[in-house]
Amino acid sequence: MSQTPHRPLSPHLQIWRFHITMFTSILHRATGLALVVGSVLVAAWLLAIGITASGICPQAYTVFLTFAASPLGLLVWFGLSLAAFLHLTGGLRHLVWDLGQGFQLKSANAMSWWGLIGGIVLTIIFWVVLFATGKVVL
Amino acid sequence: MVDSYLRQRSSKDWKTSEKHGAAEWLAERWTSVALIVLGGWALWSAFGLMNQGYEVALAFVKAPVNAGLMALTFVITVWHSYVGLNANVLDYFPNSRALKLLNLLFCLVVLAAALGGLFLAFKA
Repeated sequence: MSQTPHRPLSPHLQIWRFHITMFTSILHRATGLALVVGSVLVAAWLLAIGITASGICPQAYTVFLTFAASPLGLLVWFGLSLAAFLHLTGGLRHLVWDLGQGFQLKSANAMSWWGLIGGIVLTIIFWVVLFATGKVVL
Repeated sequence: MVDSYLRQRSSKDWKTSEKHGAAEWLAERWTSVALIVLGGWALWSAFGLMNQGYEVALAFVKAPVNAGLMALTFVITVWHSYVGLNANVLDYFPNSRALKLLNLLFCLVVLAAALGGLFLAFKA
């Protein structure tokens, strides 16, 4: 494998001059990685229900909720919901590009901005509804 | 040396790589489309279960339709994560087989934890 070290690597973060499509591209990767952590937490929730219900560890669900409903836990869920909505709008943008649409500089920039704004707005609406309906209390 | 490599090996390698890459590219897309629907369902369900306590959560998990959809959501989520994490490995550590293997193991552990929890709750 003596040839492979000469292949180019993907450009790293510090190479880029700031522009919005570069920012949302990096954000799409970062939110994707954050959501991997989110999937681990949801798997832990299912596991907590499972081992509580089966009697392996009856206090597991209470322990999970103590962390999940704590102020720090809520901050983590807030961050994960932001990551989820941003990854959703970012993913939709990429699907549009995959269909061969929106490659003009102007529309590419516009989609990036609208995805960014849309993801943030959806997150805010989601949490306003959660607090307004009493689903989440601090 | 590079020339002989190109003549003897690379065209065969490229052909294999091309097929392999296309499958992963397609998997990334169809799982993302599926996750728009399943993720929406999961978010809606999470909204309903929040602050309702253990019994409501357990009853939700034990309903066959919910259990099936959750299992499906996890299989596709973990698959999508696997492809995404592998893209990171290939971008920054293109020669690391260890990280590719670690990624596979990690994804299988997450899937096993979720499906195992689901199974235990469903059976209880």
